[in-house]
Amino acid sequence: MTAPLVVAEAVEMSFAPRGILAGGRPVRAVAGVDATVAKGEALGVVGESGSGKSTLGRLLLGLLAATGGSVRFDGEPLPKPGSAAWRKLRARMGIVFQDPFGSLDARRSIGAQVMDGLTIHTTLNAAEREERTAALFRRVGLDPQRMGAYPHEFSGGQRQRLGIARALATSPDFLVADEPVSALDVSIQAQVVKLLAELRGDLGLAMLFISHDLPVVRHLCDRVIVMYLGRVMEEGPVAQVFARPLHPYTVALLSATPMLDPAKRAQRVILPGEPPSPSNPPSGCVFRTRCLHARPACAEAVPPLRSLDQSGHRVACIRAEEIG
Amino acid sequence: MRRLYLPGLAVLFICLVAAAAPLLPMPDPIRQDVANRLAAWLPGSPLGRDEFGRDVLSRLIWGARSSLMVAFIASAIAAVVGTALGLLGGWFRGVAEFLAIRGADVVLCFPPVLLALLVVTLLGPGTATLILVLSVLYLPGFIRVSFAEVLSARNQDYVEAVRALGAPTMRILLRTVLPNIAGPVLVQFSLAVAAAVVLESGLSFLGLGVVPPTPSWGLMIRGARSTMEQAPMLLVWPCVALTFTILAMNILCDAVRDIADKRGGGGAKRLRLVDRLLPGLFPPPASPAPLLDVQGLTVEIAVPGGVIKPVEDVSFSLSAGRTLAIVGESGSGKSMAATAIMGLLPPAARAADGVARFEGEDLLRMPEAQRRRLRGGAMAMVFQDPMSSLNPVHRIGDQVAEAIRAHRDVTAEAARREAVDLLKRVGIADPERRARAYPHELSGGMRQRVMIAMAIANKPRLLIADEPTTALDVTVQAAILELLAVLRREEGMGVVLITHSLGVVAEVAEDVVVMYAAQVVERGPVAEVFARPLHPYTRALLAAVPDGDAEPEGIPGVVPRPDQWPPGCRFAPRCAHATEACNAAPPALEGQGDRAVRCIRWREIAP
Repeated sequence: MTAPLVVAEAVEMSFAPRGILAGGRPVRAVAGVDATVAKGEALGVVGESGSGKSTLGRLLLGLLAATGGSVRFDGEPLPKPGSAAWRKLRARMGIVFQDPFGSLDARRSIGAQVMDGLTIHTTLNAAEREERTAALFRRVGLDPQRMGAYPHEFSGGQRQRLGIARALATSPDFLVADEPVSALDVSIQAQVVKLLAELRGDLGLAMLFISHDLPVVRHLCDRVIVMYLGRVMEEGPVAQVFARPLHPYTVALLSATPMLDPAKRAQRVILPGEPPSPSNPPSGCVFRTRCLHARPACAEAVPPLRSLDQSGHRVACIRAEEIG
Repeated sequence: MRRLYLPGLAVLFICLVAAAAPLLPMPDPIRQDVANRLAAWLPGSPLGRDEFGRDVLSRLIWGARSSLMVAFIASAIAAVVGTALGLLGGWFRGVAEFLAIRGADVVLCFPPVLLALLVVTLLGPGTATLILVLSVLYLPGFIRVSFAEVLSARNQDYVEAVRALGAPTMRILLRTVLPNIAGPVLVQFSLAVAAAVVLESGLSFLGLGVVPPTPSWGLMIRGARSTMEQAPMLLVWPCVALTFTILAMNILCDAVRDIADKRGGGGAKRLRLVDRLLPGLFPPPASPAPLLDVQGLTVEIAVPGGVIKPVEDVSFSLSAGRTLAIVGESGSGKSMAATAIMGLLPPAARAADGVARFEGEDLLRMPEAQRRRLRGGAMAMVFQDPMSSLNPVHRIGDQVAEAIRAHRDVTAEAARREAVDLLKRVGIADPERRARAYPHELSGGMRQRVMIAMAIANKPRLLIADEPTTALDVTVQAAILELLAVLRREEGMGVVLITHSLGVVAEVAEDVVVMYAAQVVERGPVAEVFARPLHPYTRALLAAVPDGDAEPEGIPGVVPRPDQWPPGCRFAPRCAHATEACNAAPPALEGQGDRAVRCIRWREIAP
């Protein structure tokens, strides 16, 4: 592993309720998360809706300004969103969205949209931009002849390729893929995942891969972070986390994933109750209200992420040894 | 583009005639000739003379100059300034929003006439004053429309994407946001022009606008009013001119909006009215059979290019207490098959062929009234999106009770009690309290439980679940699938589960039907099909699942569209094993014990 490219320390994001009449507490979407992505590394972030995984992705990109903690990119703190330095930095980062339909502007040609990054950040002339865009089209497996077409002429999988081409136009070092395959059919998913894996290898991209689909993360990523209600429950090398999950939430998540061969799946753990509201999280361990192993001690303090061995596999559970 | 020609020509004609008024050989519009007042026709005055003996045609054309100029200039000013303010307010929020929106509200507070009086008092009457008054009056409309559109556009992923590329704010606003809000702004513009022409006449009528004797349509209507009984046509001509202009403007703006909209689908082809008559007046006699027996089900949709068949020759059967999964990619026709069985096809589609026997009775040929009694009673359906399937303004307990009372004659009180029991049955904690909740107060998993409670309210013998867990998180999905399994066991229901997730199929179903491009390509018991898939498509689909240690393999290409199906095997263009013969003729579904496969080469290529 080489030097870290993106380092987040105790990063925090609270959304205050908007408007004069809106009462209530701020929602802490991300509550003190540490994360690092090394050059050329793929870090998976898994969790369910409301776990704060998409917010974490936008914090690492600097699209949102953290309300606490810090994010450093290539050794420098991220500049303020909207500033000149921030805009310049956009060329080095890219984002791929989940929704293949909403993420492309229906009223502009796909060529112009993929070219945007080049138009904004480079001094290339029109012919050179055209040439680079054609190369990008070929790289993601699309016909450059169709640069003048509009998004509605393409299928979901092709649009997702366009989204990837757009993100890669400025040859970024860091790519955040926010559920890029969740909206696709399984046969198309595999194509797009394969493309992302190839691009990562060829371009040495650092990648943050956000997903609720654990098997995809397992195939694509080196390390994984498991999030629940804005906090990291467990992190470590993909093989270890999947083979020997330490946190009860990870265990439940893995057991809930439907498998082709149900014999291979661990005993299913059905979580009782409902996810708590992020504006009013439980004290101590946020997972304790649904945990089958919760004890009164779990409510007392927020359990820190700690290592049980030397492998970089860390867990935020005070009872990890007993349960495991 | 063709849609632009007619209204475009009309508007161009009006503008040209108005602009060319001084060049046309016409009498002076101001010259009075009292001797010929109210004449219906005179040589050189085809439309007659008005109350002062002035030529009507000439005044109509000269009037267009002032009326249209005022309307266009005022609307254009309002559109440019209002859209700019709305864009800035919607994008930057904060102070910009306050100034734009509250400013607009202040203008809206003034009655138009009061505002006009105020301005006229300050600046004196005249065309310039009128333009100022009208543009201020129409400003709030543009601000409001563009502001609202920007608010919804700014949260779209494609705007976020351009922002993530580091585009300067001006570029985002002009290149990305503006084109996407252009449609409603254009509509607003056409309305403003039309309304401005009318208001111009109103204000001129009050003496606040165009000053007589300068002709304007407003002044002409005002003048004609007093002599309406002697010369009614004097009122008609300016009104006809007004109507024609406004119509042409509206149609032109609509056409421009549709052409500017590159999303496609705007010109969606209209579907021919489909005859609802079902073929096959003499269906084969019913035999003592499984719970649901579908044979040769075909659904047709008539489109201008011919007839497409989103479901073609689909057969399967389901026994009580078992679960059958229909699996396939989007566009395979799996949901359409289920809606055909339930009798819930959209109006343009019809079940053209086949039978679907539910307990021996053919659902496809049953009168709608009889089918309605079955739906929600003996057979029920659960949909993918519980939020759009529940009524947002009714409490969930009442909705479940309503489902009960629609089929059984029980009192409201008894139905309510039963609803609470049902909510408890589907695993909702504290059902008494939750029954009084509205759908938006529940999580996605809870809502799906409510939908299931409604579906099982009348103890159905058949449950069709269309992607019931696709919108849910995996831990919630596990809980819902568990619930369905328990209910099936305890109630002895037959379940048809439509899904695209092979993992879900493996977990809960006993039999599976694999669909591709409207057809069944493979059918059989899940354990056998997944362990030894016979059809190359099934095998490719299984290999695409990122499960286990092997690298998932995608299937090249996409499902072809229903109007572009290959002549032979529909999977052949994407199949690794395809030969000449595969493209020659459509393969038949071959039975093989309790399995069936639609592939001419399955014997050679199956492992």
